[in-house]
Amino acid sequence: MHLDPFELHRPASVEEVVALARQLEGHFDYLAGGTDLLPNYKMHLNLKPHLVALEDVEELRGHTLSRLGAMARLSDLEVDAELMATYPSLSQAVREVATPLVRASGTLGGNLLVETRCFFFNQSYFWRNSLGYCLKADGDRCHVVPQKEKCYATFSGDLAPALMVLDAEVELAGPDGRRRLPLPDLYDLGGDGIRRTHLAPGELLVAVHLPAASRARPGTYLKLRVRPSYDFPELGVAAAGVFEGRTVRSLRLAVGGADPYPRRFDALTDALVGQELSDDRLAAFAQEVERAVRPVHNTFLLPDYRRRMIPVYVRRALTQLREGAAA
Amino acid sequence: MSSLGPLRFQLNGHPVEIPAEPARILLDLVRDDLHLTGTKRGCDLGTCGCCTVLVDGRPTLSCLTLARLVEGRSVTTIEGVSPPQGLSPVQRAFVNHGATQCGFCTPGFVVTATALLRDHPHPSREEIERAISGNLCRCTGYIKIVDAIEAASKETA
Repeated sequence: MHLDPFELHRPASVEEVVALARQLEGHFDYLAGGTDLLPNYKMHLNLKPHLVALEDVEELRGHTLSRLGAMARLSDLEVDAELMATYPSLSQAVREVATPLVRASGTLGGNLLVETRCFFFNQSYFWRNSLGYCLKADGDRCHVVPQKEKCYATFSGDLAPALMVLDAEVELAGPDGRRRLPLPDLYDLGGDGIRRTHLAPGELLVAVHLPAASRARPGTYLKLRVRPSYDFPELGVAAAGVFEGRTVRSLRLAVGGADPYPRRFDALTDALVGQELSDDRLAAFAQEVERAVRPVHNTFLLPDYRRRMIPVYVRRALTQLREGAAA
Repeated sequence: MSSLGPLRFQLNGHPVEIPAEPARILLDLVRDDLHLTGTKRGCDLGTCGCCTVLVDGRPTLSCLTLARLVEGRSVTTIEGVSPPQGLSPVQRAFVNHGATQCGFCTPGFVVTATALLRDHPHPSREEIERAISGNLCRCTGYIKIVDAIEAASKETA
């Protein structure tokens, strides 16, 4: 498959990226590892006339225990034994992303901002043309939930939930300077599914910051998928927290692969702090999470199955933490 | 785009200078422009690993790599994995263990395994299985491939 022509830009600094973004006025995509963007371009999905390649921007590369550059390659994170031992939930999630070959090119920022996925979107141009396209690309209606307002394509990154439970923050750079957001606030839960983040036009994800308090926080990430390699998550549940016996001292839980955005459930977990997490209380909690998430029929596994797996995975994750099996 | 100069990089240890548009994919450049057809086009979407090459030593899906982004870098294809005479230890092990049937996926496996053994000379079977989990073979069932890589790791010991 050949790509349609585009102009390729190779800025060398964040400032150059921001200036380019302003100049190109939205008629561009950022190119990080290319493992998600280029397959979509081969399928003629939402092509732009300009690509801004980020790999020459030194500031985006590399990582420490407290700062992960947006262009850090997943395989470089994976082989850093200290990093992986410090953040168990991140460790499990990184190793579950796609395949070693995809992780060798794929980046942290690319995974956090990965394109959402849907049966009716991730198809060839010919296939989509025969159906009259869809809301997410070239068309005006959704075939999954028939209407013309909202796209229900599924957020399919593994790292967002795993980093959310570590209280990660994202550093952004845009025309108005730099700012930081808690990772959950990067995603626009009130968006229409086409616009899914609170990134301003042209704003660039520079890095992920991890607070010292999250180091060595027991955690886990459980991923539902069809094949144990390659597949995007059909559901991803991340949890991290501290137990004293069976009593919850702190707890974070986040879910991806089920909605158009990854989400953290602070209101539900805060209610558990100070409580003893009995099996009954855990089951009730898992059902509350299930009620808050609504998978639709747009990925490989049926939505009813994915929905019913939510409490199963939540119970497994929290049981691991409670029994001290995690990390 | 015509204002772009020729693309320059090292291919299998030799300097290459060749025109390449921004949208040119490395796999297409290697196969169609440089006529090195050992690198295979499988899924063309990053799923199968047939097109794996080394870019500065790192296993890379050439079907998902823009050719312009290897400017100044060193690319090794399956042709560069073979020594001038004979076969590399991994290639020899694949032959000796019958680790190939139709052979289409073999170049990708050999390149991936070569990088694995360079970084981890003595992998366990589990580590081998994990390392090749991005390479698909539709014929062998993988057992002989893992056998071959394990044997190659002992040969280079």
